[in-house]
Amino acid sequence: MKLYERLMTIDRRIIYGILLGVVTLPLIFPSVVKVTPMSPVEKLFTAVDNTTNDKALILDCSYSPQIKAEVEPMAIAVLRHAFKTRKKILVLSLYVEMIGLATRAINQVVEEFNSNAQTYEDSLIYGRDYVFLGWQPPPIVPMLGMGESISNIYVVDYYGNQTDTLQMMERIRNYNDISILVALSGSRIPISWVAYAQNRYGLAVGVGCTAVSGADFYPYYQTGQFTGLMVGMKGAAEYEELVEANYGVKGRRVASEAMLSLTYAHLAIILFIVIGNIGFFLHRRRK
Amino acid sequence: MKKTIPLTLIFIAGLLGVISFVIPHPSYQVYDEWIRNDLLRVLSAFAVVLALGSLLRVHFDKIKRKRKNWQFSWLLLIAFGGSAVVGLFGGVAADGVLPTAVGSFQFDIQTLYENIVIPLASSMFALLAFFMASAAYRAFRVRSMEATLLLVAAFIVMVGVLPMGYSISKHLPGFVQWILNVPNVAGQRGIVFGIALGVVATSLKIILGIERAWLGGGE
Amino acid sequence: MITILLCALVGLAPPTDIRVFDAPSDGGGVIVVEWNLSADDASIDGYDIYRSDNGIDFSKVGFIGKSRSSYSDQTEDGVVYQYKVAAVSDTLLAFSEPSTEIASEASWINVGKINIYIAMVIFGGLILYFIYHARRGKKLFIRKIAGLQAIDDAVGRATEMGKPILYTLGLGYIEDIATIASLNILGEVAKKTAQYDTKLIVPNADPIVYTVAREIVKESYTKVGRPDAYDPDSVFFLAREQMAYAAGIDGIMTRERPATNFLVGYFAAESLVLAETGAATGAIQIAGTDALAQLPFFVTACDYTLIGEELYAASAYISKRPLLLGAIKGEDWAKVIIAAALIVASVIGLLSRFPILNLFQ
Repeated sequence: MKLYERLMTIDRRIIYGILLGVVTLPLIFPSVVKVTPMSPVEKLFTAVDNTTNDKALILDCSYSPQIKAEVEPMAIAVLRHAFKTRKKILVLSLYVEMIGLATRAINQVVEEFNSNAQTYEDSLIYGRDYVFLGWQPPPIVPMLGMGESISNIYVVDYYGNQTDTLQMMERIRNYNDISILVALSGSRIPISWVAYAQNRYGLAVGVGCTAVSGADFYPYYQTGQFTGLMVGMKGAAEYEELVEANYGVKGRRVASEAMLSLTYAHLAIILFIVIGNIGFFLHRRRK
Repeated sequence: MKKTIPLTLIFIAGLLGVISFVIPHPSYQVYDEWIRNDLLRVLSAFAVVLALGSLLRVHFDKIKRKRKNWQFSWLLLIAFGGSAVVGLFGGVAADGVLPTAVGSFQFDIQTLYENIVIPLASSMFALLAFFMASAAYRAFRVRSMEATLLLVAAFIVMVGVLPMGYSISKHLPGFVQWILNVPNVAGQRGIVFGIALGVVATSLKIILGIERAWLGGGE
Repeated sequence: MITILLCALVGLAPPTDIRVFDAPSDGGGVIVVEWNLSADDASIDGYDIYRSDNGIDFSKVGFIGKSRSSYSDQTEDGVVYQYKVAAVSDTLLAFSEPSTEIASEASWINVGKINIYIAMVIFGGLILYFIYHARRGKKLFIRKIAGLQAIDDAVGRATEMGKPILYTLGLGYIEDIATIASLNILGEVAKKTAQYDTKLIVPNADPIVYTVAREIVKESYTKVGRPDAYDPDSVFFLAREQMAYAAGIDGIMTRERPATNFLVGYFAAESLVLAETGAATGAIQIAGTDALAQLPFFVTACDYTLIGEELYAASAYISKRPLLLGAIKGEDWAKVIIAAALIVASVIGLLSRFPILNLFQ
């Protein structure tokens, strides 16, 4: 076999093996890589940051277990940001199978903050600082209904409390009192938020999605329908970076730890493409 | 006759669909709801029975004829029967007539889903990383001018989104955003316009009975 | 009384000029209430909306935050209502004058969608016009689509190699146009496999699509006079769950080693899982989808890819029936109109910053 033939026909098992190596090794020995935030993530961060005291933000955790690795770090980063800056936050899921993941993310971040809290004021208190609305099917009902009244749609929260008796909800009645909704999803849910909640009630919508679906969402970001956009693991890492750089929030940064894996995987793919093309080039010259 | 009835049905159903878009009055919307929700649901229930019948028939047949890898068909049949029994009699939240836990060992349908289906599906999803690498290696060759352009754009985006992108050039990440925001969006919009019009034309052709390949073709 | 007195004392200004009207173009049951904001809008909590069906007893029906001046109230059709709106600040309320009387009713025609009707008439008219032309025997040109051109070769290759053809319709439902277009192509492919006596494998993800696909394949075999060659188990239901379906097809690809794979219809993340496994088995692959995010994967891993509307045009292309070609010609003219409208609107928008673009909202 000639050299160029070898370069052009590397066995796929070799490619898989090398990729497995470069993806898993950095995950076994994790270290945080600094990233430079790009404007779609910066815009989202700023929008969350600008939430005033009389408003709250909504975090829609509608991501399935399959894409948890990519999207959960976004949920955690946004929650850390919101809690650190004492923004009021409402969390919900549009599908029942995603409730468990939303609970996981909230519990983790609340635990992080409360384990360091010295006073009652410092602590995160359910109902005062955050509310978990749970799930209300079908998705279109909360999307439209919360424009009129949140507590009419979620009469009780996930834990069975009367929503309108919660301290935080006294001032948070409908989208008018919401600064931005951050939709975390791998499906077309964020577009539905624009179609129903934004078109009708002017709600600002920010998005966190998988890298694969990112290309689908750019048209909406470009027109300003999405205030900001976090795409894939890299987007999550950028948000983590902004939260730590601006507010010094400490905590495990899963997405930033995965950046090394991501970098090596990209470089490996680029290398394979280059090798393939060298082979192709030699082959063409031979002809 | 075999063609006339379905074509008439589809014409009527299509027309009713268009009318429901024009008439918001409840006296008409009630029928529309009924067609879209109730009737369609009943039809799909029948289809589910047919589909499951097909699944079982294929695998029983495979076992009977001892076709290649027929042993795995047993696995499917056992999993099928097991989850059907647990799901039908165990209830969604372990509230059925069938007990779905032995001591601390739970096997209700939600637990089965979370601990079997989700990990398996995630593993399949994770295969994408490997497949992307091998597909990119094979496909990205500088065969022509267009292929070279595609390759260059892909390179810029791949390097630009990396954490090291910024250290190569501070303009690189911005340029990547531009590629995603302008040429990418422009191309997508073009395709979307075509798709939207294609949907209109195809629907019209089906309603008018011009497109009948789905009936087995012919004039 | 006390509240009103209190308001007078602290000087909370009520909202003014309450306007009520029946929500237009709806199924009834909604009255829209509008008002001019209270002069103290900046400092209040919001507005309570009160309703009465006898003009005397008003009861609260809703609340809306400050700086908003309209509320849609759920009502009973035919009942005459009156409304009042109150500015709310903590426990203080400042009531407006009552509105005029109003009753909601259902509309028969949705006039709010008039721009869509016009577009429907124009595009529908264009398509019908060209179909009519085609019927009168006018020759219509259609450009070459490589992916569809390749179908014959792909079936021929499988026949020569004595291997099956795999045809997957993706995850779509029967109402998805991609699925319908794919079923059209399936019909043509099945005719060819019937003629050549090549084995066809059609695994399905949706029960309804499965039943339709089965009928189409059966019909195609009958049409070319080979009903005996039709194998009822060639079209079967595999799995509804996305990745289970992908795993099942991957299994078929590696076991049966089809010579040709058709991946045509609606696909999500499983697209590359299927296409790359197919490529590994050395099959010729023809893909087609209107799912934008999956197109790059198909383009890289398959030999031919039908992009968006090429997929919809497939049945016209394969059958060359003039009526179908006429519809495509109509579509093209519709595109010309849209492109021209976009250019004109952009130019006007740029030149004068005139809000002409609002027309398209």
